[in-house]
Order: sequence, then structure tokens, then C-alpha cells
Amino acid sequence: MEKIQNIYKVVSNEKLCPQFWRMTFDAPDIVREVKPGQFVHIRTGEGLEPFFRRPFSVYRAQKYVEIFYEAVGPGTKLLSQKKKGDTVDVLGPVGTPFALPPEGTKQVVMIAGGIGVAPMLILSDVLKKKKCELVLLYGGRTRGHVYPMQEFKDGGIKVFVATDDGSVGIKGRVSALFGKIRKDPQTTFLYTCGPDAMMAAVQDFAGQHNLRGQAACEEIMACALGACLGCSIETKHGYRTVCYDGPAFDIHEVIFHP
Amino acid sequence: MNLSVKIANVTFKNPVTVASGTFGHAEKYYDLEEAKRLGAIVPKTVTFHPQAGNPPVRIFETPSGMINAIGIENPGIDAFIAEKLPAFRKIGVPLIVSILGHTPEQFVGIMEKLNSPAFGGGIAAVELNLSCPNLKFQTLVAQDPQATQALVHKIKAISKFPIIAKLSPNVTDIAVIALAAQDGGADAVSLVNTFNAMAVDVRTQRSRIGNFTGGLSGPAIRPMAVYMVHSVAKAVQVPVIGMGGIMTADDALEFLIAGATMVAVGTANFVNPRAPLEVLQGIEAYMREHKIDDIKDIIGSLKYDKK
Repeated sequence: MEKIQNIYKVVSNEKLCPQFWRMTFDAPDIVREVKPGQFVHIRTGEGLEPFFRRPFSVYRAQKYVEIFYEAVGPGTKLLSQKKKGDTVDVLGPVGTPFALPPEGTKQVVMIAGGIGVAPMLILSDVLKKKKCELVLLYGGRTRGHVYPMQEFKDGGIKVFVATDDGSVGIKGRVSALFGKIRKDPQTTFLYTCGPDAMMAAVQDFAGQHNLRGQAACEEIMACALGACLGCSIETKHGYRTVCYDGPAFDIHEVIFHP
Repeated sequence: MNLSVKIANVTFKNPVTVASGTFGHAEKYYDLEEAKRLGAIVPKTVTFHPQAGNPPVRIFETPSGMINAIGIENPGIDAFIAEKLPAFRKIGVPLIVSILGHTPEQFVGIMEKLNSPAFGGGIAAVELNLSCPNLKFQTLVAQDPQATQALVHKIKAISKFPIIAKLSPNVTDIAVIALAAQDGGADAVSLVNTFNAMAVDVRTQRSRIGNFTGGLSGPAIRPMAVYMVHSVAKAVQVPVIGMGGIMTADDALEFLIAGATMVAVGTANFVNPRAPLEVLQGIEAYMREHKIDDIKDIIGSLKYDKK
């Protein structure tokens, strides 16, 4: 078994827009192993505060590992203070990755809300080889929550944005963009990550049109190894841990509580 | 250097174990070579019937610790024996199986399965999770000395294995309960389980925990746990397994000096999966530094003279 907890050097840590940050660290073993939808569990401080590690979806894994995060709580605020050359204590990659679309898929639609865009770039990097149309529907609260989507656009992904206040893209929820989704159960595949209310809307839409897909879920997490069962969520098959059984679940399996 | 300790007739090669419910069985994540070095492993508490556990949110981070209300999610004793135990046995470390019944009869039912020749052995001791309903008085068994003594006695009478009684700190005087467990025939007592706790989201005016209340663990409880271990170790003659917020070797040594024969690393596993091993290595380093040849010279070595 590979040792999954290591100390890595920070390569960069930059603010991308008023809300979002990107940290890059040098972890060649994680780059080799990580699959879309998996995450890393980072100890953001040195002492006992904050006590838990913090889980971050891997945003990209090319030369370095990149995570995309919002500096909102004590853990992520500490992380945002890390500088090039500092070290991070990282556990990972862990978790069940996204299932990839079946053969014959012609359109893949990634539906993300806010920081839920985090697992989508590494996913699109993998899906580019699939030769199907890639679409990102992105919803944010306001301009400050809309990370410039250039990296997706550069990869040939069609990006559509909705904001609550209309400051970027169309005014409204991401569900206002569902018209971009081809309602073909055989050739369309969905991925979603974001607030429960948004993922519930995606699930509802997928149910109405008999579409397949995957949801990346989130819950307060302690161990990230399937040991404590603290991050369990409700599914049609009973409680399942986000860290071990997920984060990626069949979109129809999860019982959301928006 | 001797680190071995004994509970009843079982020898553990060192005093470091893990607290129930904090050590997974996900083989792909654990370095078996490291796990092999532990004195014992305690899997998550198992009940007679499968138990789904509590609704989310199950955990919440607190200052220097966490509140949990997992609800003892487990597959039940039959599935535990068939599906979970083989991986634990493979580690090759003495197993202390933690069990909980919602009635005395369920405790007996689990014990009979563990005693059965078909079970195949491979466990060193059984820990009774006494934070279970005491139906007669609407409390936990661990909050009532008579119930504790009666239940321990009942299970000890039929058990092929040494019995460890796990005690709750949510009592007036934990030494009274420890003595009751000893009187019931317990071969050891382990303490502390979590402290009753609650956290409120002031924005929604609701509890942070799906089950409304939970149990506090982590370094926040350590001084109280050390106090309780000390008071129990002075009161009973059986070995004490001490736990509560151990993150480092020094933390573990506090418990040993206060009278614990073994120490269990719990919540620390969620922050640092190598914590139990680091605790063990730190204890070894402490013994070398202080020229202590036998762990027994540390256990209960607290000095009472004023300096």
C-alpha cells in the first residue's frame, strides 16, 4: 500500500477572483494516481485549531496538484495564507471517483454551483479524449463568485453562466440553463456538484427526462478514510459515507434535502 | 526494553491501542506493516442487529475536538463476523471486540456468537460498551452501578474472553461505576467514552447535530479524562485502559503516569492516521531518554510530594 499522507511543497497560492483561490502543490504521486471526483484531505493549521482536516476536490493534476477553494471559514482562511515554498500536510487521493460516461455518449453536461466547479476541470481533461460535446453550466451568486472560466473555454468546453443578480450571464439559477441539455437518455450524461438545492434540481430534471449522471456530494468530514462514518448522507440504499462510498454517487441514488 | 502489559491472562506487546469507532477497516488505506506494531486493535462497536445509525449531520468540529452522533452504525454481529472480522484478523494484532446490546439478552446473544466454536477465535478480549439503555431506569447502564455490575456479571459468566467494561464520563463519580464493574467480574475497565455535548447554529437556532445532541471527544476533554482515569486507577485493582484526547506520546504518558495500563488513541486518528504509531514511538523514546526498562515503571508513577 502506498503511503497516502505526505508533506508537499506549495508551488503557488493565488486569488482568482474575489471569492475563489487556487493552490498548487508539488505531489507527483498524487498526480499519478488521482481520478476525477477524488479529493485530498488537508491539514490547514499546525496545531489543534481548526481541528479537522479539510477536504478539497482535486481541480487539476497535470504537472502539479491544483485545488480550487473559497476562503470562508477558519480552515480555508488559514490555507489562503500559505505562500510558495510553504508545506502542506495532505492525505490522498481518497474517495470514489466519478464513473465515466458509457460508450455512445455524445453530450456531457457538467452542472456546477459556486465552489462545486472544483471537480469539473480534471473531469473535462479526461473527457476530452472521449470526443463528445462538453458543456459546463455554471451558477454563482454574483460577479465575485464567478471564476473566469477561461480554463474550461480553452479546453473547448462550452460554458454558460447564470448569476442570481444577473451580473454575469443570465439572471437566475443554473436551472435556467437546463435548455442546453439534450434530453436524450441514450447519448446525454450529466455531472453535478454544488449546493443541495441545485443538485436536487438536476436530479429532478434527470428523472423527468430519464437521463443518467453522477453527483459529487459534500458533508462535514473527519477522517476521510471511511473509518468514523461521520460524513454519511442519505441514499436510496441507506446511509453512505461521502469520503469512501463517494464523493461521486449515481445522481438518482442520493436523497437530497434542499 | 519491555513494553508488554497484561489484561487477565492476555499479554499485549505494548500498551497502545485505538478507541472503538476510530479505526477503519479500509485495507487499501492502512499500512498493515504500521498497524501490526500496535498493541491491540478495537473495531467499531457491533450490535446484535444491524444498525443504520443517525441521520446527518453526524459530526461537528468544536474547539480542540469534535461532537459526534454516529449512532453506532454497524452491520450487526453476523455480518461483522462474516465480512469485517477477516480483514482485522489479517492484521495479526490482538483484537478487542467492542459490543453493545440494547437489552442484556442481546449482549448475551452477541457473546454466544463470539464464544461459538464456529466463530474461530482470534480475539483477545471483549469490551462491553455500557453506554447502552438501562431500560429499567431510563438511563445508560454505565450511569447505574447496580446495572453495570449485573450486566458485567451476566456476560463475564458466559464469556470465553477477558471482559473490559467501557465507562461513560457522564456520571457523578466514575470510580463508583468502575468499582461496580470490578465487582461484576470485569477484567479491566476502559474510560472515558464521550462527554454529552451540543452545539447550536445561531443563525438557524437549530442544533448542529442531526441527532440533536452528541458526544464530545478530542483534546478538549483530555484533562477531564486524565482526572477520571486517575481516580478510577486509585479505586480499582484491575487494569485501566485510558483514553480521551490523546494526540501525542506525551498525552498518552499522562494517562500512563496517572495509572492507566493501556492507552487508546481515538479522535486523533481522524486528523493523523499515524497518530497511534507516533504515540508508540514517542513512548519508546521517552523510556530510552529516562532509562526506563519496563513500561510498568511508568504506570501509576504519579508523584504526590510537593516540589
